[in-house]
Amino acid sequence: MAPPTALTAIRNRAAVAAELRLLLPKIQSLRSTNAIPFGVAAIDHYLPQGGLPGGGLHEFVPEAGASPAAFGFIVALLARLPQPHPLFLILPTYGMRDFGRPYGHGLSALGLDPRRLILVVTAHRKETLWAIEEALHSGAPAAVAGAIDKLDLKSSQRLQLAAADAGLPLLLLRTALDLESSAAATRWRIGARQAARDRFGLFARPRWHLQLERCHNGRPGEWLVEYDHVAHRFSLAAALADHALSRSAGEIPLRQARRS
Amino acid sequence: MLVVTAAGGPRIAALNEAAEAAGLSPGEPLADARAKAGDLQVRAVDQAADDLALRRLALWATRYTPTASPWNAENGADGFFLDIEGAAHLFGGEEKLLADLSSRLEDFGLPARFAVADTPGAAWALSRFHPAPCVVLPAGEEARALTPLPIEALRLSPETCTTLRRLGFKSVGLLLDKPRAPFAARFPAELLRRVDQALGRLDEPLVPIVAPPVYHSLCYLLEPIITQEAVIALASRLMHTLVHVLTRDDVGARGLRLCLYRVDGAVETIDIGLTLPTRNVAHVVRLIDLKLDALAAMQEAGFGFEAIGLAVTRAEPIPARQNELIEDAGDAGRTERCAALIDTLRGRLGPQSVRRFTAIASHLPERAEALAPVTDETPAPWPEQETEKPCPLLILPRAEPTEVTALVPDGPPRRFRWRGVTYDIADAQGPERIASEWWRNRSGHQPSQPTRDYYLVEDEDGRRFWLYREGLYGRETAAARWFVHGLFA
Repeated sequence: MAPPTALTAIRNRAAVAAELRLLLPKIQSLRSTNAIPFGVAAIDHYLPQGGLPGGGLHEFVPEAGASPAAFGFIVALLARLPQPHPLFLILPTYGMRDFGRPYGHGLSALGLDPRRLILVVTAHRKETLWAIEEALHSGAPAAVAGAIDKLDLKSSQRLQLAAADAGLPLLLLRTALDLESSAAATRWRIGARQAARDRFGLFARPRWHLQLERCHNGRPGEWLVEYDHVAHRFSLAAALADHALSRSAGEIPLRQARRS
Repeated sequence: MLVVTAAGGPRIAALNEAAEAAGLSPGEPLADARAKAGDLQVRAVDQAADDLALRRLALWATRYTPTASPWNAENGADGFFLDIEGAAHLFGGEEKLLADLSSRLEDFGLPARFAVADTPGAAWALSRFHPAPCVVLPAGEEARALTPLPIEALRLSPETCTTLRRLGFKSVGLLLDKPRAPFAARFPAELLRRVDQALGRLDEPLVPIVAPPVYHSLCYLLEPIITQEAVIALASRLMHTLVHVLTRDDVGARGLRLCLYRVDGAVETIDIGLTLPTRNVAHVVRLIDLKLDALAAMQEAGFGFEAIGLAVTRAEPIPARQNELIEDAGDAGRTERCAALIDTLRGRLGPQSVRRFTAIASHLPERAEALAPVTDETPAPWPEQETEKPCPLLILPRAEPTEVTALVPDGPPRRFRWRGVTYDIADAQGPERIASEWWRNRSGHQPSQPTRDYYLVEDEDGRRFWLYREGLYGRETAAARWFVHGLFA
């Protein structure tokens, strides 16, 4: 790249700004990467890239007893991905013993075609990490999801780098209670909430309490969302399980915690 | 001296030189032998170990040609056939091959007899009954070469041989001159079949010890190699040579076998399966590397490997295309990379570790689907759900018993205790009644499974569970048992 001439001679503000912008290709590319939008304006506008960064590590930490809910949220995110390529789900066997294994008809009930999913079963953490990295490096899947209990800073940096290089989202379910600091692009804490009912009073749409705990270049936040598996659509839910109220509440986050 | 138990008491099966000098011979009853020589050391024959050793030797011999077939019991079970057609010139002719083979066998301490002929039958006869230990028979000479040999050279059963000898047919030649019809009428079909096989009138297919490969590439080393890097480098060279042939025939490898021939005669075999036919050298070499990591083959290299063979055991057509133009562009490259990824994962984690969901038509939730190892690239279509019935996201490997409090015995649950935690149920949906699959138990005597009533329950914190009550209250059981079967998002 040629050195910016505008800095040296006549100061034309517009020219200087244009030259400076040329110097910042990284931020430009950061903005234009394939972010995965939630489709909810309140959340998407809140996130620095207008959605989950497409190439990066995203951690999902369940609240106590909410592991199935957190996994369900990951499945909902996967189901919304538009690309037709396969999705790789990497699960350790011990995790499947505790929480059961993914059920194809249940995935289908959340709007994810089970045929897209390729399940990789690993015996221990080392294998899990290796398999995740392999899947990212190959660049073949549309996204990689997995569950892992412990993840130290170094491993998380490796995974974040691999995901960023491949430009693929890596959605990790963290099953351990104590969390080390990590290099993930975002970390979400997922809580289960009572599901939205349809007009017959039957469970219709699952609801999740989302807490954005950390976000690269962003602020923490908190929302209550529900998910419609037929339309593959997230929407904000009111704290009250009242339909009229939830409509009028619109798309306003419940509370926005600001951290300077 | 080794003995085998037979009708009428133990008989001698094999003996050493000292025993032979004492005037004993194989087939003699042990009692007679003891009368002739007093101090005999007698052991029982271990037929299984013999078979295993022969098999190992035949495997080792695949270094000469891919088709090696150890002799079964009716051939005497003490040798093997090698189909060296098309392989002999690699060693500079049949004589040179035999010389190499015999010198190597001698190094193992195995005295052996060899014969090369156009038919397995003739080769068998010559190796057993020809005075020279090493015979190479020119083509079309079978009848002449067999003429002076005794009648046993035709691989007949002992009864047939005895009858023939009684009738005066002591050598093969006497038999060959006579008209066939009387023999066909008076002897088992075996006799004429063996004659025809020996003379090449009837085909005798060999049963190879390992499935013969479609394409094969082999490399002999002057110095044995020990390190994994060296094996990888050689495998890559072999794959390069194979790729030319594969490209010529427009096929790719779906299955590969790497054979490592150890100096001491043992053979290590590594089988590699691929999801899509491939001609990608780097990918294949990577898979081999992963396999070598996992296997202990390299730790057991001993004095090293003196020959390495790479064979394509399964080939499937792949259409020719220009790699350079559509590299990283479009779907084809991605499908290929996906297959490569599956191969890599399977290579390290095991063939059972990469799975895909397949739906099964069954009403029982645990039977309604299977996680089958990924086999090919076209998954079966997933059935559309006909109704909006609840399906759990996670299903427990076994339904876990739980203690449930309900207002009435056949009513919805109010509270349950599972894995040491008590959950208060805020809302329950159900029951969804699933009866047992009575058609499965029609022949069996075990009672059919009780009916299940499934409830989808939500606790006060929004966790959703799939519980079921086993047995219809009052009709099938007096005290229904409850189970947790699945978890919802």
